[in-house]
Order: sequence, then structure tokens, then C-alpha cells
Amino acid sequence: MRRKIKPAVLALLFLFIAIQFYQPARNSNKEQGGTMDIARSYNIPADVKKILHISCYDCHSSNTNHVWYDYIQPVRMMMESHIKRARKDLDFSEWGTYSNRKKERLLTSIKKQIETKEMPPPSYTLMHKNARLNKMQAKVLIDWVGSHE
Amino acid sequence: MQIVFSTILSAVIAATLLSCNSSENNSNNNQDNDTAAVAEIDAVAGKDSTPVLPTADTINTNVEQEKVQENVDNFSIAPIIKDYLALKNALVADNGKLAADAGRKLLTTLKTVDMKSVPSGKHKGYMDIADDAMENAEHIGDNAGKIAHQREHLASLSKDINDLIAMFGTPQQLYQQHCPMYNEGKGAIWISEIKEIKNPYYGGEMLTCGSVKKKY
Repeated sequence: MRRKIKPAVLALLFLFIAIQFYQPARNSNKEQGGTMDIARSYNIPADVKKILHISCYDCHSSNTNHVWYDYIQPVRMMMESHIKRARKDLDFSEWGTYSNRKKERLLTSIKKQIETKEMPPPSYTLMHKNARLNKMQAKVLIDWVGSHE
Repeated sequence: MQIVFSTILSAVIAATLLSCNSSENNSNNNQDNDTAAVAEIDAVAGKDSTPVLPTADTINTNVEQEKVQENVDNFSIAPIIKDYLALKNALVADNGKLAADAGRKLLTTLKTVDMKSVPSGKHKGYMDIADDAMENAEHIGDNAGKIAHQREHLASLSKDINDLIAMFGTPQQLYQQHCPMYNEGKGAIWISEIKEIKNPYYGGEMLTCGSVKKKY
């Protein structure tokens, strides 16, 4: 019995180590707040900006603040696909390129998604506790978005 | 100790091989794209190209070509309207799955519109609307189980369709109808082929709530 287990454990260990070598380029644009960033479109109050950066920008911008375990595979791969999908729908770093029609739709959608607690997604905040919105933070964000809808 | 060391060593080798493989795959993909592009060029030039297997790419090309011939003189949004109405009616019937199917169909229709057939002065206007409509259609297609979310996108999509009608007209009799309650009392419009009110935002819950705002 033990003889059978050992190769299996070794194979897993092997796979785990091998997979660590796959580290795609980081989603980090050095010029934080580029020319198309949402902060250039509106005069965003500091408290709102801070919440956006901590709770939204990791996935919805060209700048992710990774925590150390984000670099461990397969977490990294999951993060990458998550970020890719998130930015396709809404990228705060590209806000300035959006049509007014799209901005309007996104603002309504952002508000709705925070209200219904679909954003930030629980599957993400499970491992990234700092991205969670408490009631106060959610209200600050919802009120600000609501005033620009 | 030795075993662990050799495991790590072989892992490194495997990782190196892995990365080589992935770059090879990339170049293969590029090749595929090239072939598709060549096939397209041949088709456009009207040459008898060597028999190409009917891949998704070549089929799309054929469909697009037919569209060009149809719309070359007169761009019509009729196919878009048709898919939108099917989607709207699925939500009237509270059927999220049917709505998702219709959303995907609308997305395909929007994607196959040939930009060359759109009058050049209306390019930018059309693109803005179509981009937004495609995202709405895609989300509706992806959320068969979340009818409330589908309806949020219907509100935005209906604005898109309304603006398309304003820009290109419609050969079909259509009505702009309005639900005053939706989105916390902010209200939302929809486009219907019938005058009678059948509310897609609440379905069976409040089927006849709303009013006709405009006749196209």
C-alpha cells in the first residue's frame, strides 16, 4: 500500500513544482492612473478613489496589486483568466475610450452589482479579504456612482 | 533527499519543455490565421482556391459575402430587429433560457453585419451603438439562469435598438413602449411589434403595466 502511495505523492509534488514555472507577465501598468483612467473623466473624491483602488482595480484596471499567494500556481492562472474577463466588461483604466452610451450603462450596472453584492464577487473576496466592501464603503461607492448616472 | 532533489530537477526540465511547447503552439496558431486570411483573399479575388475544409472561418466568410450582396445598396437593420423582438418576447414569457438563445443569435447577427454596407456618414454612430448592443446581447446570452440580470441588459439594449431605428428607420410597424416602474422608478423603454402592452421587464408579474410612447 505504502509503495503505491509514494509515487503518486511524488508525481503530484513534481507537477506542483513544474507548474510554478509558468508565470505570465503581470497585469501592472507602471503609470498608475493613465490618461484614459476614470480619474481623468471625473473629479473623484479621495475616499471613493481609495475604495475603487482597493476593491475594484485589482481586476478592473491595468494595474493589479497582487498578494504573495497570487503568485502560487494554479492560483495565478485562475487570477489571470478572472482579470481578463473582468477587464473585457469594465476597465477603469480605459474609461476615457468608452462611448457615453457605454459609460451610462456601466454606471447603472456598477451600482446594481454592488447593491446586490455581486461585486466584488464572493469567490474573489474569499481569498482577498481587503477587497471586501463593508456597508459604509458600499454606500459611499453607490452614492457616488448614483450621482453620475 | 536524493529523490526530492531529482524530482525538482526533472520538474525544472519539464517546465522548460512546457514553455517551449507553448511557444510552438503560438506559432501554429499564427499559421492557422494566415491560412484563413489567404483563403479569404482568394475568395474575394474570386479565384478557384484549392479545396479548403469548411471551417468556421470559411463559413463565416461565405455568410458575410452573401450579406454584402444583399445590403450593398440599402443597409437594413431588419435582421437585428427580428432577433431583438424574439429576445424581448422571451422575457415577456419569463423564459430566461429562450432569452439567452435569442441573445446569442442577436450577437451573431450583429457580428456578421458588414461595415461596408453601413453608409459612411453613419459609421461612427453605428459602431457606438452596435458595440454596446453586442455587449448587452452577450451578457443576456450568458445569463440564462439570471433573468433579472438579463432584464437589466434589456433596458440598455432597448435604448440601443431605439437609437438604431432613429438612425436607419424601420420597414416594419414598431412601437416604443415605456415601463415607469423599472429600475427603481427611473423607468425603461422597450420596442414592440404590437400595440398592446406586454411588459418584458416584469413578465407575468405585471404583464399589462406600461404605455405606448411612440409609433415608428
